[in-house]
Amino acid sequence: MTKFSKLLRTGAAVLAIAAAAGAAPRAAHAQVDVPLIESGSSLLYPLFNAWVGAYTAANPSADITTTSTGSGAGIAQAIKGLVQIGASDAYLSDTLVKKNPTVLSIPLAISSQAINYNLPGVGALNLSGPILAGIYEGKITQWNDPAIAAANPGVALPSHVIVPIHRLDGSGDTFIFTQYLSASDAGWASTLKFGTAVSWPAIAGEVGAKGNSGMLSALSNNPYGIAYIGISFSKQVAAAGLGQAALLNKSGQYVLPTTANIQAAADSVATTTPADERISIIFSEGPSNYPIVNYEYAIVDSHQPVPAYAEAIRDFLKWTVTEGNAGSFLGPVHFLPLPPAVQALSLTQINNIQ
Amino acid sequence: MKLRPFRTAVLGLSLLIPAALVAVVLFLVVYSGQAMQFNGLHFLTDVTWNLGDLYDDPVTVKGIQVPSGAEYGILAFIAGTLASSFLAILIAVPLAIGTAIFLAEAVPELERSARRTIPWLPPIRPVLSMLVELVAVVPSVVFGLWGIAVLIPFLGHHVSPTGNGYGLLAAAIVLALMITPIIASTLLDALSQVPKENRESAFALGSTHFEVVTKAMMPMVRATLIGGIVLALGRALGETMAVLMVSGGGINILPTSLFSPISTIASFIVSQLDSAESDPTNMSVRALSEIALVLFLITLAVNAGAKLLSSGALNVRKRN
Repeated sequence: MTKFSKLLRTGAAVLAIAAAAGAAPRAAHAQVDVPLIESGSSLLYPLFNAWVGAYTAANPSADITTTSTGSGAGIAQAIKGLVQIGASDAYLSDTLVKKNPTVLSIPLAISSQAINYNLPGVGALNLSGPILAGIYEGKITQWNDPAIAAANPGVALPSHVIVPIHRLDGSGDTFIFTQYLSASDAGWASTLKFGTAVSWPAIAGEVGAKGNSGMLSALSNNPYGIAYIGISFSKQVAAAGLGQAALLNKSGQYVLPTTANIQAAADSVATTTPADERISIIFSEGPSNYPIVNYEYAIVDSHQPVPAYAEAIRDFLKWTVTEGNAGSFLGPVHFLPLPPAVQALSLTQINNIQ
Repeated sequence: MKLRPFRTAVLGLSLLIPAALVAVVLFLVVYSGQAMQFNGLHFLTDVTWNLGDLYDDPVTVKGIQVPSGAEYGILAFIAGTLASSFLAILIAVPLAIGTAIFLAEAVPELERSARRTIPWLPPIRPVLSMLVELVAVVPSVVFGLWGIAVLIPFLGHHVSPTGNGYGLLAAAIVLALMITPIIASTLLDALSQVPKENRESAFALGSTHFEVVTKAMMPMVRATLIGGIVLALGRALGETMAVLMVSGGGINILPTSLFSPISTIASFIVSQLDSAESDPTNMSVRALSEIALVLFLITLAVNAGAKLLSSGALNVRKRN
């Protein structure tokens, strides 16, 4: 970080505290809270809104503003100190951590992703990482391709061109989808790799859509389409009559994104999650593990310019991973609570914010 | 020397806009400098766009740090921008000319004959022309939503051979809807300012109504028409949101048919910015500002071309 931006930040913090201190006598409690800004992931945005509403009701002096910008913007703004909490579906890359060693990636909850399809006349469908990689590379172009048929014995697959639908905006969903393909398909891992935006191979009939809602309408509008959509949208996906694929996991089983299967995946990596918690729960080992599961992160600088900021961030984030992990908050967006071991790691990281 | 506060203030204000323009261009040039050095001319001729592996260690190329595998080629986006905008103009111009002539010539006559039977009839033409102008101020995201909800399913079910409605044609139609009122209202204003004498003398010479419009009136408003088209083209080239929602977001692919997925320059910048921001080398954002510079140059070229056309410097067609 440059000296100048540090200076600016400190100046803003001092001003904010002065303003808060001036207003303090009017508050019922003597406690002084600084204004916090949360920015980033649009997937986390509804959850943060629910959290901030309940948290502010319990702590009237808290002042937290939530904004929905995108995971990349959340990461960038948290690193620059423009916001106190960056929300991201993806953790910080090694290079960003090397450049900004004080910035933490703290899991707050567990999310997942479904592979949905619009196939008139087909009920259940099994898919695997290599099949999906083939579809998005343009190598598998027909629904009755032998590779898909081999995974779906007894299913009458239509002889029709596949319409692959992907996110055109930078997205945590693209991040975890391409991580699944990289983990399960060697060809994808060596060429396209993973990221919040990848260099999608040219396919004449492909569709790029904006946001999860754009993916949903693109899939509804395109019979014979396939799309990856965040689990938060599962209700709308089911209402639109779209199918949900069972995916091949590392143990060779086809599994659906049910609560039990997502929980199984989360539990299986709980003990192997490193102290900095930068890990994906993608393609984990276990008979019922759903393969595309991820942590939702808060990106926070552990070196806050003013202690009052650190305290306010700690208090709020501690609340989110404890009381905030209750089903009443996570249920509506189909997220799952952190397993106890991961919750402990997150609390340790949160306590390091000074 | 006598102090002239008013003159100084007005001078300062009038310099503000050119100064802002120069500042923006300077910023773009300076900020994208490293990207230009890295990309060279391949930037304009390559179809492949790849942010590279942002989760791997950066590599150093030509002394510049870039994400491994990064490759920035924008030919597909230039093609997408020009194709969708010119296709939109192609759809919008006849529509707009028809609308303007209808409002200027046919509506007053209809009104006169209608008033003979319904004497209390309120004026129709101002209401209709106001409606046309209203379309011009509808926010673009509304057109985008309409595109997704109505246009895309229609194109998919009835027009597209593959059943996929997203792509070049959808983007062009949405753009055409947005720019038709711009051209139509400019032209309508100009048509209503054509001197009555010209119109009446053409009638007096025995011209039909069609000949009056095409030979006596349209040549007089030619410069305004071109001005309106350029204004509309400017909006189409820079339109972001509506295009993003219906264009199919093609990347690494040149449009080959009306249903090819495309990305325009403006919509592509928006779609990539979030991922680019998490690039530790910052090269992705620099490459995006280089694209912005290209868009700026294209718009500049279009405007300069229009100035030449409407001033008559390139006028090869003789006036009747």
